[in-house]
Amino acid sequence: MFAIPGVGWLIAFFVVSVYAVMAVAFGGVDPFLKTSIPAWNPLEWDFTTMGHVIHEVFNGYLRKVFVRTFAFVGLALVGCIAIGYPVAYFAARKAGRHKGLLLAALVLPFWISYLMRMLAWTNLLQPDGLVNQVLGWFSLPDNRNWLDGDWYTVVIGLTYGYVPFFILPLYSTLERLDGRLIEAGRDLGASAIQTFLRVTLPLSVPGLMAASVITVLPMFGDYYTNSYLTSGSPRTEMVGNQIENYLRNTGQPQTGASLVLILMAMLFALMVYYMVTTIRQQRAAER
Amino acid sequence: MSQSRRAFLARSVQLGVLLGAGAPLLQACGGSDDERSQVSATIADGLEPEKGPLRIINYADYVNLEVIADFEAKYGVKVEISTIDTDTEATTKLASGAIKADVHHSMAGTSIGNLIAGGLIQPLNKSYIPNFVNVIETFNDPWYDAGAKFSVPYTFFGTGIGYRTDRIDPALVDSQGWDAIWNATDFKGQVSVLDDEREAFTMAMLRKGITDVNTTDQKVIDQALADVSELIDLVNVKVNIEGYKDIPEGTTSIAQTWSADLIAGAAGYLPEGVTDEVLGFWHPPAGDYVVTNDSMGVLANAENPVLAHLYLNFLLDNEVAEKNFSWVGYLPAITKLDADFVIAAGYVPEHLRSCVPTAEEIAKAIYLKPLGAEGDAKYETAWAKFTAGG
Amino acid sequence: MNPFRRRHGKAPVLAMVTWVYVLWSLLPVLVAVRISLNDGRSRSSFQPMSFRWYWGDPTASLLHDESMHIALFNTLKLAGLCMLIATPIGVAMAIGLQRWRGRTSNAANGLMLVPIVTPEIVFGVALFLVFSQLYTGLPDGLTRQLLGHVTFTISFVVVIVRGRLAAIGTQYEEAARDLGASRLQAIRLVLLPLLSPAIFASVMVVFATSVDDFVISSFLSTGASTETVPIKIYSGARAGSTPALNALATVMLLLTLAAVAIATIILKSIQRRGGEDPGITGGFAGLSG
Repeated sequence: MFAIPGVGWLIAFFVVSVYAVMAVAFGGVDPFLKTSIPAWNPLEWDFTTMGHVIHEVFNGYLRKVFVRTFAFVGLALVGCIAIGYPVAYFAARKAGRHKGLLLAALVLPFWISYLMRMLAWTNLLQPDGLVNQVLGWFSLPDNRNWLDGDWYTVVIGLTYGYVPFFILPLYSTLERLDGRLIEAGRDLGASAIQTFLRVTLPLSVPGLMAASVITVLPMFGDYYTNSYLTSGSPRTEMVGNQIENYLRNTGQPQTGASLVLILMAMLFALMVYYMVTTIRQQRAAER
Repeated sequence: MSQSRRAFLARSVQLGVLLGAGAPLLQACGGSDDERSQVSATIADGLEPEKGPLRIINYADYVNLEVIADFEAKYGVKVEISTIDTDTEATTKLASGAIKADVHHSMAGTSIGNLIAGGLIQPLNKSYIPNFVNVIETFNDPWYDAGAKFSVPYTFFGTGIGYRTDRIDPALVDSQGWDAIWNATDFKGQVSVLDDEREAFTMAMLRKGITDVNTTDQKVIDQALADVSELIDLVNVKVNIEGYKDIPEGTTSIAQTWSADLIAGAAGYLPEGVTDEVLGFWHPPAGDYVVTNDSMGVLANAENPVLAHLYLNFLLDNEVAEKNFSWVGYLPAITKLDADFVIAAGYVPEHLRSCVPTAEEIAKAIYLKPLGAEGDAKYETAWAKFTAGG
Repeated sequence: MNPFRRRHGKAPVLAMVTWVYVLWSLLPVLVAVRISLNDGRSRSSFQPMSFRWYWGDPTASLLHDESMHIALFNTLKLAGLCMLIATPIGVAMAIGLQRWRGRTSNAANGLMLVPIVTPEIVFGVALFLVFSQLYTGLPDGLTRQLLGHVTFTISFVVVIVRGRLAAIGTQYEEAARDLGASRLQAIRLVLLPLLSPAIFASVMVVFATSVDDFVISSFLSTGASTETVPIKIYSGARAGSTPALNALATVMLLLTLAAVAIATIILKSIQRRGGEDPGITGGFAGLSG
């Protein structure tokens, strides 16, 4: 059947790769070269490193990193919703004549490299960059060093980077909302705000959740946004940075691999939620 | 819904069994764990150089591209450089075969021992490297490579404090030493320490008067971790190796740097209108001064070993070394290029004389030595804790 | 108040928020482009304009810096090959999955969706480990990166195409079968042309995703010869960089926009025969379920 090549490929390069992570996490290490000696046979798996890492995550220094990561992602999600929902709503229902142009503008960030957009922000956030200059016009303090390693720079960066990925799925959902339901609400005398709160918003919740999940999942593994924007500040370190450090710069690849598995486990619920709802929708659409 | 969930679970169980059974298969087709051992044979004498291309593994911006071009012209070959960010990355990628190269351009003292024992580099046939006589005497028998059998030194440098003289009084730094970094609360966000799991803790130890920086005593390491972690809140410390551009550009006011960073900074990274007067360097006195050097070697599975040897010889030539130094800023371990020479030749301003380690400082230097898997792991873990936010 | 009067409010506040968002979203990029035209080394302020960083500067400009050429070439090569490999596999998989009945189909569906919800770092680490520990016969960084990109993008193709498949339904194929076409003919002559907007959309998405990929390329890179543009931009910010980096990003941006423009023109010309406008948003409808 047609799906065989695809399924085969994904098994060979995805499933096996994830298994490799487990094999490395539960394997050993070459004493000289400090490279991994993976344990392919599950019977040989050694869980001591994993146990150690789990301990650090819940009781040790890694707890701070995980908490911080969740906090950054949570705040960035709030930012995405706060900015993205109004924009998606406007584009879906109110745009009128300019809809095509607006859509093009909303899709455009997809074609612009993520790193270029971050590069743009580092240009702007330099001490003598545009952001401070504009603040100066409004007589606000204009000498703040934005690239200092502060959490708000990272949250702004994450929000800016991921909000386009949030808006478009949400837009699709909002566009497909049955307009008659909304009009019915208005016809029955509800104000614009009441209609929104009691008709539109509840109807958009599934789409909102899907868009949130698909935005938030990649954010958890992000390590380049914060290190790009803060040139190495320990105060904004996220889980992704620790994983990268352990795998690239230390002789403890098992720890890095263990962290990857822990991260996946934590995100498992979200991942499953997304997959289940998507499969359900696909089945419904194809019936 | 329940039916599909059951199906999903059933499927995963089947998959798990399949993988378990398939594990021996995977093991068979995975790379075998060869016993790695030290390489003992050098290449033969008098061989002709190969056609190339010569592949080099090096840090970014760590060799003058003009020197590379000169080598290409002289031997009629092409040179390809693969860059790595950290020493461990190089070792990992070489060991796993992810990078294939002929010349390792910058082996750190802490890993040469491992590279030798792990059979990744081959002993050198010095008949191809007559320029070895130009090397500073100490490096004829370095602590990391007895008899300099496997390596020739590339550059050497000391670890100290680089800072802006127009913002911080040099007399202050001279009197406070390492404390100057902890006291730099006026310069929050403009302070950095080196992105290296040993250097930052070494600094903390030296500050407290501990000179055995190769200790694996967990208490000492923990104390060093605590001291360095203070900097997070005190001065919003950053962790990077960009002092060479950040101090001249002014985004960093005071930092733990290598001596060569200031030389390189003075040579190439000052913005228009700023003179090198603003750069200052301090280091501990001889005996407390950590001097490190990078070395070059030929990889065991090099496809162009003769060419690799000739490259090493090329870089040890006095003129080539001088030309390389003029761009890179890191001092080559060449006897001729001492402080008087480089200052007279204009490569280093007089007020940065301290950036050139003297013979006495080299003789009494403290070296960062490898500590075995467990010892290294202690530092790595401490470092991970520090970067996690203390 | 007449309860039957329709209030089609123009929502001026929302409009303003939206257009401010668009500006906020796109202006920084314009600033980055403007900085690429700086005459001096500054990466933060506007200096008098010149093309120094594009071709003027003899060592550091885009035209003269070999490593930037390599990065640009690698990125385009990877994206092109990825398009050619991932799209057929993905389209076939979408068609196959749609017809797959039975309990195993859910597992296959799940397998297809997992890459979309997996954080890239997990991908990067997994692929890095599997290539360095298991599939060690592939030394070339570019091959590894390509395999990684394809693995990552197949799922996007499937999702986009399935959305369209659901909209089309099976009646056209069935009609063709009724008229005597074989199954394969029905697919080739009827279904695929109907799917072409979705196929085009997914080709463009694969291209954009591959061009933009940083994490996987970075983990699988084996040195300077396998750097891509995102890697160059990322590492450039940590080393002493010049506006040449902005120039590189700008050139990449222009190339991508050109590719999109060409694809859209082709798409529109096909559509004039097909009659519908699926839009890219059709694809994202697929992503949001």
